[in-house]
Amino acid sequence: MKRYEMIVIGAGPAGLSAACVAAEAGMDVVVFDENQRPGGQLFKQIHKFFGSREHQAGIRGVKIGENLLESAKNAGVKVVLGATVLGIYKNKELAVRFGGAVHNYKADAVVIAAGASENMMTFDGWTKPGVMGAGAAQTLMNLHGVRPGKRVLTVGSGNVGLVVSFQLLQAGCDVVAIIDAAPRIGGYGVHAAKLARMGIPFHTSHTIVKALGGDFVDGAVIAETDEAFAPKPGTEKNLDVDTICIAVGLSPMSRLADNAGCDIVYDGAKGGYVPLLSDEGETSLSGIFCAGDVCGIEEASSAMIQGKIAAAAAARDLGYLSGEDFIQKTGEYKDSLKKIRSGMFGPESKGRADIARTDEGYPLSRSLLQRGFIADDEVTGFPSIAHGGGTRAVIECTQNIPCDPCQDICPQGCIEVGENITSLPALTGNKECIGCGLCVGVCSGQAIFLINDDFEAGYGTVGLPYEFLPLPEKGAVGRALDRSGKEICDAVVVETVNSKAMGKTPMLVMKVPTASLAGARFFRADADGARKGG
Amino acid sequence: MPNSRLGKRSADVIVIGGGVMGCASAYRLSAEGLSVIVLERDEICAGASGRNAGGVRQSARDVRELPLAIYAVKNIWPTLGEELGVDTEYVQKGNLRLGRTEAHLEKLRMSVTENTEAGLDLLMVTGTEAREICPYMSEEVIGASWCPTDGYANPLLTTFGYYRRALDNKAIFITGITVTGLGKAGGALRKVYTDDGVFEADRVVLCAGYHSRAIANTVGIDIPVEREDEEVFVTEQLPPMFDQVLGTADADFYGHRTKHGSFLLGGVSGLQHFTSNHDGHPADAYTAPSLSRAIIGFFPVFADVKIIRSWSGHFDACADGVPVISNVEEVPGLTIACAFTGHGFGISPAVSLAIKELVTVGESRAIDVSELRYDRFRAKQ
Amino acid sequence: MPVIVREKAEKPFVPKPDDDLLVCRCEEVTKGDIREAVHAGLRTFGEVKRYSRVGMGLCQGQTCQRLVRHIIASELGIAIDGVGRVKGRAPMEPVIMKELALSRRDSKGVDDYAE
Repeated sequence: MKRYEMIVIGAGPAGLSAACVAAEAGMDVVVFDENQRPGGQLFKQIHKFFGSREHQAGIRGVKIGENLLESAKNAGVKVVLGATVLGIYKNKELAVRFGGAVHNYKADAVVIAAGASENMMTFDGWTKPGVMGAGAAQTLMNLHGVRPGKRVLTVGSGNVGLVVSFQLLQAGCDVVAIIDAAPRIGGYGVHAAKLARMGIPFHTSHTIVKALGGDFVDGAVIAETDEAFAPKPGTEKNLDVDTICIAVGLSPMSRLADNAGCDIVYDGAKGGYVPLLSDEGETSLSGIFCAGDVCGIEEASSAMIQGKIAAAAAARDLGYLSGEDFIQKTGEYKDSLKKIRSGMFGPESKGRADIARTDEGYPLSRSLLQRGFIADDEVTGFPSIAHGGGTRAVIECTQNIPCDPCQDICPQGCIEVGENITSLPALTGNKECIGCGLCVGVCSGQAIFLINDDFEAGYGTVGLPYEFLPLPEKGAVGRALDRSGKEICDAVVVETVNSKAMGKTPMLVMKVPTASLAGARFFRADADGARKGG
Repeated sequence: MPNSRLGKRSADVIVIGGGVMGCASAYRLSAEGLSVIVLERDEICAGASGRNAGGVRQSARDVRELPLAIYAVKNIWPTLGEELGVDTEYVQKGNLRLGRTEAHLEKLRMSVTENTEAGLDLLMVTGTEAREICPYMSEEVIGASWCPTDGYANPLLTTFGYYRRALDNKAIFITGITVTGLGKAGGALRKVYTDDGVFEADRVVLCAGYHSRAIANTVGIDIPVEREDEEVFVTEQLPPMFDQVLGTADADFYGHRTKHGSFLLGGVSGLQHFTSNHDGHPADAYTAPSLSRAIIGFFPVFADVKIIRSWSGHFDACADGVPVISNVEEVPGLTIACAFTGHGFGISPAVSLAIKELVTVGESRAIDVSELRYDRFRAKQ
Repeated sequence: MPVIVREKAEKPFVPKPDDDLLVCRCEEVTKGDIREAVHAGLRTFGEVKRYSRVGMGLCQGQTCQRLVRHIIASELGIAIDGVGRVKGRAPMEPVIMKELALSRRDSKGVDDYAE
């Protein structure tokens, strides 16, 4: 039987990373993926990743996917698409269907990087067309260019719910509301803030009770939840929506590892049944490894590192990597994994409701956790939002998330995160901001604003990240919205900055009255577009 | 350490095995007013009972076990669903056993002659006649045996039906407990040792499939069985096609359409005695493809049908191909029902009746099982 | 495999207003079907599956198994990890019989099949 040194199942971030490391070590590697295009979820992830430079922070998932594929190709990895692994049998034999036949291959090492599937929830009408997983909505939009609907309710405020809601807005849908059964928003505050400043309402402690409509969704009923997350009778509200996006978590796709005979254990924190793994990602069956979401739900950045560790271990076991090289290589990988897993959203703290302060001791914004935006009276508590004169970055990053590209990109060195990438960014204060806007563009959370209060008499400007098309032109007039999405004043676009280093997140600079500088955080062009500013 | 949560540790009868034999025996014995505890190492219906295709077949059976099959089809299967309060999905639309070569036909003829002499109503049909009964088969079929009273049922629902009725009769089932041995006291079998303490009973019914051998060994009884792996797969739901149960003279495959609309198709690879699959491993890489080739050969219509799921199971293949259903006089109190060799489900309602009588009156009166004694095995010459 | 003692349920089955809720879309199994199965004495995911067909369909429980696990656990009043799971069975996706029939374990390397 044809045998490969390594067979990888899944051409997503974990699988491709594993394949690259193994092939670069000299192994003969083939990757099977059931989809017609590689990259797993990466090509749906049009948003910028968090983390540090080594995690490709500030780069969009799509681009990371392209880079990964390119590296795989250069390393000699064979990627077979439209190839479904039907089963893993004894002696690491795989049955793979592609090209109208089932083929059997053996491998010295197998890396299962099959990813995750979306969780569903049941409610009256949940099977109606129009109810879909957030990932499915993302596939429709970002892979197929199809808008999932016109008016959307997102159920679940974890990062997936928040990111997909933002992408729905980018695709031109209305997001009518984002609800969560928990009393707080689950995902990053910066993701929530992007939505809140566009006026998207968050309803925490709310659940969906019913999808209305006949053959398809034409409304939704939501209600407040009690302590047990059950709907409270009498609190029902109707929402006028045609699409309901369910973003209530993911489950590891461990069934292939189960089928192979690997020991499987239940781990609620990891999302369900997962293979029992060594710290190198090896299952209970020698030579069968797992990497990525199949081991427990995490970010793609973690998946990539897990893939590298598993492949390095396989390469060592098969004599392609010396013990010393393995220790050195995986030492770096493990450090990197530790970094990306740190902070209040890391796997160890995930879901904790008792965190009330940042690592630095600042009280967390309660408004951000409940409504998606920092309340005006909370703003002053954070050093990077402190006020001062002249042109300066205002960094509305108030939770300990693992991310530091702002520190790297500032040509002046005005921003400091420090060694610990979950630390809140701070302005060094002893350097002068030149107003280049690079930090505005690079921030994955779109949480940096460039304030200039000396624009002209009585007016200043706010530079904000703006990822919508069409990009308003200089001179466009509209209204400035505050962090809650409320219109607070007239605004005129005075400049758009879109340098290459900003990675397609242009900075839109709007002129607002000086009094509104502290509050104005988004620009809404006038509908007619006819009114011209002076 | 024994687990105190287990509560009651003695009963009139302890049944070892929570498959269809164990559940049906527990049902019948508890219906007699006996207190029954069933001990099962896995869960209910987890072994061969949860994995077989559900054939209720009399044809091509060894004449020693044929009385059980005929009795079950005549007297029990037609009304079992009603008795158990479940839909057993019993369908009696006949069994075609197909032949492609003259040698196959010879084999079928011999079996038909034997079965007919033993009182079963069946006959040989030509390839053309077989295709009149079931028009989907290929021209490869040149003849078949045809038993119109054979059929199939749903082994899962049947087993759970027995289980529920046994619960109704106050039988207690303990699952996740492994019987490690048996022990005598005062000249008769009394103790059942488990990984969770000792149980006691006046009578023990051993129907633990392949595992029965090791358990019987602990009181000096050996049944010559070997473990044999078989696989079954299930297709997508299909519109009504035919209701006959299929088999072949050469055991290429077997199967039928279920009430659900899917086909259950099973068989062996030819290497089934020599597989090294460990427990719990669902299947091997070659059996389902081999079955697919055989099935498409006989039934080209299946070429484009989707397979949804496959699984393997193992059974206790007996040295002479028929079960042991017997009291063990040298170990008073022990009744054994095992070695079903992969065709136990269809006769299970009758076997449980025999077991009940073996336990309660010392002999099987309604059905003759005298040829199925535990001590029938002899060396050659 | 935890030790489970099973005796006849003493309380009658109590229907709930959301029993009609479809849980397993492939096999059209409702929440009430699952609750009834538990009430009938079935105590593990494997048993409920074999009894009700939940998780036996095209997706093999990939969509519903988490939901089913919650229903069984809440019906039995036990922790979610005590319910068990649907075993991963080949084929991971439905496969046409003639394609499977071509599996003879003698395939050439993947390059030989490149389009």
